[in-house]
Amino acid sequence: MNKTLRISFSLKNTYRVNGILFALKQIPLLRRLLPATLYQVKGLKVFANILSLLWEIVSAFLGKFLYFITMVCGIGILYKELPENTVFLHILLILTVIGSFAKTHLFNPTKDKYYAMILMRMDAQEYTLVNYFYFMLKVVVGFLPFTILFGTDRGVPLWFCLLLPLGIAGMKLFAAAATLWDYEKRGFGYNENKLSKYVWGCIALLLAAAYAPPAFGFVLPSVVSMGIFLVCIPLGMASITRLTAFRDYYAINKELLAGLTDQMDSTAQTKLIKQANEKKISADTSITSRRKGFEYLNELFIKRHKKILWNSTKKISYVCAFLVAAALAGVYLLPEARSVINGIVMTWLPYFVFIMYLINRGTNFTQALFMNCDHSLLTYSFYKRPDFILRLFQIRLREIMKINAVPALVIGIGLALILLATGGTDNPLNYVVLIVSILCMSLFFSIHYLTIYYLLQPYNAGTEVKSGTYQIVLSVTYVVCFALMQVRMPIMIFGVMTIVFCVLYSIAASILVYRFAPKTFRLRT
Amino acid sequence: MKFVIEHLAKSFEKKEVLRDIDFTFVEGKIYGLLGRNGAGKTTLFNCLNRDLKADSGNFYIEENGLRREVAAEDIGYVLSTPTVPEFLTGREFLKFFMDINEKYIKNPKSIDEYFDYMSIEPEDRDKLLKDYSHGMKNKMQMLINIIAQPNILLLDEPLTSLDVVVAEEMKQLLRSLKQDRITIFSTHIMDLALDLCDEIVLLSHGELEVVEKTDPDSREFKDKIIAALRGEGNE
Repeated sequence: MNKTLRISFSLKNTYRVNGILFALKQIPLLRRLLPATLYQVKGLKVFANILSLLWEIVSAFLGKFLYFITMVCGIGILYKELPENTVFLHILLILTVIGSFAKTHLFNPTKDKYYAMILMRMDAQEYTLVNYFYFMLKVVVGFLPFTILFGTDRGVPLWFCLLLPLGIAGMKLFAAAATLWDYEKRGFGYNENKLSKYVWGCIALLLAAAYAPPAFGFVLPSVVSMGIFLVCIPLGMASITRLTAFRDYYAINKELLAGLTDQMDSTAQTKLIKQANEKKISADTSITSRRKGFEYLNELFIKRHKKILWNSTKKISYVCAFLVAAALAGVYLLPEARSVINGIVMTWLPYFVFIMYLINRGTNFTQALFMNCDHSLLTYSFYKRPDFILRLFQIRLREIMKINAVPALVIGIGLALILLATGGTDNPLNYVVLIVSILCMSLFFSIHYLTIYYLLQPYNAGTEVKSGTYQIVLSVTYVVCFALMQVRMPIMIFGVMTIVFCVLYSIAASILVYRFAPKTFRLRT
Repeated sequence: MKFVIEHLAKSFEKKEVLRDIDFTFVEGKIYGLLGRNGAGKTTLFNCLNRDLKADSGNFYIEENGLRREVAAEDIGYVLSTPTVPEFLTGREFLKFFMDINEKYIKNPKSIDEYFDYMSIEPEDRDKLLKDYSHGMKNKMQMLINIIAQPNILLLDEPLTSLDVVVAEEMKQLLRSLKQDRITIFSTHIMDLALDLCDEIVLLSHGELEVVEKTDPDSREFKDKIIAALRGEGNE
């Protein structure tokens, strides 16, 4: 038993460490420095083992602490009229019921289970039970300090606080035994990550039962809650015999982990992405084009991908137009809000960088371009001639700019109208800057995504993303846009800065693409 | 015309995949490139097609004693897994290709003539390529690669996954195409190489070497190739 636990631990550690090392090797500069023999280095494994052990200890307590401070006590504070101990027990009891089938460990498909039981053929029953009881131990030990700390603080008697973790564990054990019994009866495997809509319905109802009735002054009397928790202790003990007697752990895990193979096998996963992208191609046979050469290729591409390009940009534009109309109506109905809204429009322009980031179609466009077009055409030499690459880049840039410009215009004009309706501005130039700068933001995103796609072309022939740099650039883009959300600046200053930046960026991007894209726009190998 | 490779080398981290490729290919012949799994056949092709930057060495075309760089349009590269732009129909793909390569296609034929030539059925010509079968995609890929009549045709295990009929059609096609160009055909199936190719070239330990094709049907000859690929005998 000890050995099984030790092996499970070292297995988990090994794949965690290798996972981290693999991730490190994806970072452009580090890749050169780190040798291929990295995975052999013993010191790293020891260090990682220590980290894992620490994490094991911290995770046993941290999650429970957060759970108590937010879900149980945090929300519990809202119900001031009711006795604290009753509310505490009411919420904890119902959340425990939810937890007993939403956080089972036994029915959670994890990688370590897959490696141990399916790939390494460890004894399924022993492996499952040893790890399950270890998990239960962590539940009891992890809950104990907090049931005492928060429980006594809410006026729950100490003796009961000491027994509470056992009650919680008991309920989990009982639920697990009941699920196994159900499996034996109906042969139906349960997976806590793929809950049926009925289970989700039950969770919603239970959540409502936990938090809604106290608002109206109804809670389970503490005697009832305490009684149920106490009953769970012998029930849990009885369930242990049931769990240890169960024989079909291999079958259960085989079914549970079946979906995981696809997820972990990167070729299977990329295949799924590829298929998903092929589904985006319109099967409409009436689509044709009268153009020639690259314009022909482009027109067919845009028309056959209408669903993800023009249709979604149209939807976004309608939503934006609707929101603008709603804001205008609000301004009309609530004259006293005018000056506030006017102030917001005048200084919240940086916020719209993030909004433009969210609604631009750049990443969808480049992904579809690769998956359904460049992925195959890049294997033909003719397609890689420098003049052809640049010609197609121009055409594509024009298309994505058009697609992104529509919602940008709606937003820009809408904001200008709102500004006008809320009392306007002393300087009419503000309207112009507002509209132009929002348009510039959309142009920036169009250029940005297409440029990094052409310069970094991150995919290989198997459609896997192979470039760490590409991922980093995407993340930095997100972080910058997100950070700008916090900035408040007058339209004139930020707008002019945006326009200047956009112009400079376009020039720089064009120069880079013209110089480097013929060399960089290749399939990764 | 000759295709000359000089001291081409490529390593991945510390692993030397291509150590010293030094070889001259002559027009009119089909070269069978034999190598074990992982020997570097695909790496060699990727370097020649400039999908991958070689660490050192170079390659060029020699015509009438004059050397020149290999341009993109000199090379046709047929991959083992055929890739075609899924959102186009067969006819559209062909039209697009012919449009942009007008200058390079000598004596162009009509689109349907090309389809007939490849035995692609009339009812399949206007289907989206994503709905083509594996064999049809392969034919489409081959067709695009031969219309422009490249000087060098690289084929990376192209017949391995085809049914017998299509495989036979392809073999005939390759034989009919071998005049005026250099065909390099990689495979790890020895019988296929012996059947189709005029020269057998082994890629082992990062180098290319010719095997004299004495008596292709004899057991001895095959044993000699296997021994060479294993790394016995010649070291």
